[in-house]
Amino acid sequence: MTPLKPVSPGHKLALGLGFFVLFVAAWSVATFGGFVSKTFLADPLTMVREGYALFADHGFARDVGITIWRVVGGFVLAAIFAVPLGIAMGAYKPIEAFFEPFVSFARYLPASAFIPLLILWAGIGETQKLLVIFIGSFFQIVLMVAVTVGSTRRDLVEAAYTLGANARGVVRRVLLPSSAPAIAESLRLVLGWAWTYVIVAELIGASSGIGHMITDSQALLNTGQIIFGIILIGIIGLISDFLFKWANRTLFAWANE
Amino acid sequence: MSRLSIDGVARTFPGVRGGPPTEALQPTTLAVGDNDFITILGPSGCGKSTLLRIVAGLDSPTAGRVLLDGAPVSGPGADRGMVFQSYTLFPWLTVRQNICFGLREKWMPVAQQSEIAAHYIAKVGLAGFEHHYPKMLSGGMQQRTAIARALANDPKILLLDEPFGALDNQTRGLMQELLLSIWESERKTVLFVTHDIEEAIFVANRIAVMTARPGRVKAEVAVTLAHPRHYTIKTSPQFSDLKRRLTEEIRSEALKVATLA
Repeated sequence: MTPLKPVSPGHKLALGLGFFVLFVAAWSVATFGGFVSKTFLADPLTMVREGYALFADHGFARDVGITIWRVVGGFVLAAIFAVPLGIAMGAYKPIEAFFEPFVSFARYLPASAFIPLLILWAGIGETQKLLVIFIGSFFQIVLMVAVTVGSTRRDLVEAAYTLGANARGVVRRVLLPSSAPAIAESLRLVLGWAWTYVIVAELIGASSGIGHMITDSQALLNTGQIIFGIILIGIIGLISDFLFKWANRTLFAWANE
Repeated sequence: MSRLSIDGVARTFPGVRGGPPTEALQPTTLAVGDNDFITILGPSGCGKSTLLRIVAGLDSPTAGRVLLDGAPVSGPGADRGMVFQSYTLFPWLTVRQNICFGLREKWMPVAQQSEIAAHYIAKVGLAGFEHHYPKMLSGGMQQRTAIARALANDPKILLLDEPFGALDNQTRGLMQELLLSIWESERKTVLFVTHDIEEAIFVANRIAVMTARPGRVKAEVAVTLAHPRHYTIKTSPQFSDLKRRLTEEIRSEALKVATLA
């Protein structure tokens, strides 16, 4: 292997799939070979059967829909407020000096630790679920956007000034477009994290959603369903990530190599 | 009356971490007439870029003032177009959108914008590249677009800060000819900063030679080579004489820095 040497698309796909195959193989050996008790870890076939049963007999599609709705809802809500604040902070240093210390502090508050408090405030309805995701995403987005906007190339800003742009023009026509690809990339990352918050939110005080199904299955010692739920989250995450990447590539063609 | 007058402009940068302040520019005075093409020639680090940035309004002098058509300069503006040494095209805009940037800022009707853009695209030889993004262009093409972008705004004076410094020798020669031909046809007032002696002579009417840091204008040398100038002029006796003289001037300044360091 040579450092940094690119790999051909065919090889890349084969290598990527290879690890999945290896992973399932190791899992199969552990379970079918009887090395691990069925009580603790279901085998791949049971997992698939349980997954089918979930959709066919238990109306699991509705849970999946609700979980997706919560993630997207909380995430979009956070983005709507966080992106403008981040842009303002990145562009105007006094605004940054005002908010940055608090946002940096709030970023380290674990969203899951707010769940008991949020249940007290907002009950166990949808508002509480959205708030968990909102808290988990909002501060992260604010900081990442502020850093992106703040690191806009100074020479581009100066060029805009010599072309007659005023302060507002610089924000609108230089800071925003030059930061847009990196902002979109930050949103993609935070959306991934939002998925972990939603499951935690659904483990406590929920009556629907993928996380709720997982807690139910734990009570029934149905590890097949639990694993199916986890893998499903992974797949949905992968799809949303892929869509996000594709949208970024299409929207920001100028920024690609 | 001079179009631009630099009147006792000095710049001292505050010391870093308690260190002594750095004097980048001693009080400097220079007058630029209408349709003049002046090069500011100096060894690297002599404050010539600082001087140009002050004229552009991107930096403020610690003493003195800059007057453009009699009015003091207090900040950057569209009346002073600038071409930077680094590539400063907006990467998210096409060649044409880059050239129209300043025109859009003035809310000029789109039809008029297109007309002006087409004129300058043709002028800098970029026809057929209107819809290319900067990353698809060579360094020379990017700087040609940057020149077109500055000119499209119809500034009172064009400021160039070593615009061809990052280009290879051949491209640089061609760019000098292009710039000169544009000046010969459009008669813009130009202030051009460079450390390249040949470049300074070839394009200018007058050369302001600067001292080593802290810089000031040490000598002003008129260049009386006839227009239009052809690149072969670079081998003429008159050119060689000027070059010899300026080489001595710059060399003594460069030596000061080298022996100090």
